[in-house]
Amino acid sequence: MPLLSVSDLTVTFDDFTAIDSVGFAIDARETLAVVGESGSGKSVTALSIMRLVELGTRAKITSGRIDFEMADGSVVDLRTLSEPQMQGIRGNHISMVFQEPLTSLNPVYPVGEQIAEALRIHEGINKKASLARARDMFDLVRIPEAEKRIGQYPHEMSGGMRQRIMIAIALCCGPRLLIADEPTTALDVTIQAQILGLIKQLQVETGTAVMLITHDMGVVAEVADRVVVMNKARVVEQGDVDQIFHSPQDPYTQALLSAVPRLGSMAGKDAPEPFHLAGSLE
Amino acid sequence: MSSGLVADMDTGSPSTSRAPLVQAQGVSKLFPTDGHSKVHAVVDVSLDIGHAETVAVVGESGCGKSTLANLIIRLHEPDEGTILLEGTDITHMGPRKLRPLRRAMQIIFQDPFASLDPRVRVGDAVGEPLKIQGLAKGAELEERVAQLFELVGLERWHLKNYPHQFSGGQRQRICIARALSLNPKLVIADEAVSALDVSVQAQVMNLMLGLQNEFGLSYLFISHDLAVVERIAHRVAVMYLGQIVELGSREQVFRNPTHSYTQRLLDAVPIADPRQRRERPLITGEIPSPVWAPGTGPEIVIHAEVEPGHFVAVE
Repeated sequence: MPLLSVSDLTVTFDDFTAIDSVGFAIDARETLAVVGESGSGKSVTALSIMRLVELGTRAKITSGRIDFEMADGSVVDLRTLSEPQMQGIRGNHISMVFQEPLTSLNPVYPVGEQIAEALRIHEGINKKASLARARDMFDLVRIPEAEKRIGQYPHEMSGGMRQRIMIAIALCCGPRLLIADEPTTALDVTIQAQILGLIKQLQVETGTAVMLITHDMGVVAEVADRVVVMNKARVVEQGDVDQIFHSPQDPYTQALLSAVPRLGSMAGKDAPEPFHLAGSLE
Repeated sequence: MSSGLVADMDTGSPSTSRAPLVQAQGVSKLFPTDGHSKVHAVVDVSLDIGHAETVAVVGESGCGKSTLANLIIRLHEPDEGTILLEGTDITHMGPRKLRPLRRAMQIIFQDPFASLDPRVRVGDAVGEPLKIQGLAKGAELEERVAQLFELVGLERWHLKNYPHQFSGGQRQRICIARALSLNPKLVIADEAVSALDVSVQAQVMNLMLGLQNEFGLSYLFISHDLAVVERIAHRVAVMYLGQIVELGSREQVFRNPTHSYTQRLLDAVPIADPRQRRERPLITGEIPSPVWAPGTGPEIVIHAEVEPGHFVAVE
């Protein structure tokens, strides 16, 4: 039984179908990458799992199941839960990290307090205990000088440090699934490497499964166990990361991979070279 | 001392037969902060761009790569150093004298939507430089704009549309058409493909390479994406805290990265092949601030030529 099993999931915004009969599964401790270009439906898929997609929008989940295995082994279809029930799932069992940490954090509270707040809401512990736990989370996400940093405001931190805070908030209640939507897209490449390494290491330490949404095939190749490729609202191909990169079956996957610049692919060549684009990208 | 950073006979760059198109020599630019401190954005940078050559400047946020581009195209005026365009000193030239020379240098920015006026039809936007320079009007202007659209893979009927009616990739093609309208010799591409989806990015890069072959264009290609740079550049300059720490042919910089920062940068690039996965040490370091108090500043690096045309800051 997988940790999360999505089947036949369809979401519409009025007449527009944002995702169409999407299905895939994530096993415990696994990293599943969902890749695709702008508008392919990958973020809508994530927001649907969190049941955030219908909040304040005209979106509607029109079909499908989102089966999630709870810690006690029971399986619930998240689509059938009420909003108060979902609030018990979010943060505690499934957490989410977004692309831009500055818009995800509250600018007027110190970052330590924002971790502590999540702990107080979800675990009902008091202020003192929550701040002590927040302090421990700084160590978990490897933020140096925790004593000094805990009282800082988001604007006083770099993008990489802010994303570490977001990861700390996401992981502080020990979720079994972390959904990361383009978590390193806004970061510099050396900081990206740090954050991806951190997520990987925390996955080993905490056993959290990760659903990584990204447009970056380099990031996918680097961290994913399995890959779901989306195009125009549909899952066009899914499989083991090695199979997707080395024997892609779907024409779109093949075209996408032909457009990816690969570091080292130009070795020994004198002059710049155009991409030899496959199929539909010609 | 860094005046040795010039296009070299042995780098395989196509710039060898004539003097470089653009020469930046010992260029510096400081920006004031709220207090008395200053941001040392570009510090004593020397860089040449040859004819029909693509020079890429890579580095992370705040390393000064965009400021360098803006200095070379004279959107900023350097505090120190000289900028030569085909041998003409344009370092402190005023706007009126600069205008005819601007035909030779054009720029494309990262966000094609922000670069196009939402209320101006794209055909008019592409024709505007020709009008301002007084090079074409009426039917001749229209015909020239239509040709530019065809050149970048757009249709004639697109001329009457507004920017919001185009995709990101199409908008960037419009910006390229506008940049090419004056037959420039140098096009600066400041993260021009960074905001595009990977399939569109590849198409726009192919277009840029094709235009270079056809017209002998030079590119100053500013990017944070090393995999993209490896594809498009003849020579590569690596910037760190306002200074060039490594400069060489693409092959030299990518196959024999010598400065520790270049190595760190290349190590951090994810490779789109799961069979080449690497274990990475969990580093936590971040780049220091380029802001310095009055009277202080960064130490100016000295370059050593480790092989012909390959310059590395001495550490």
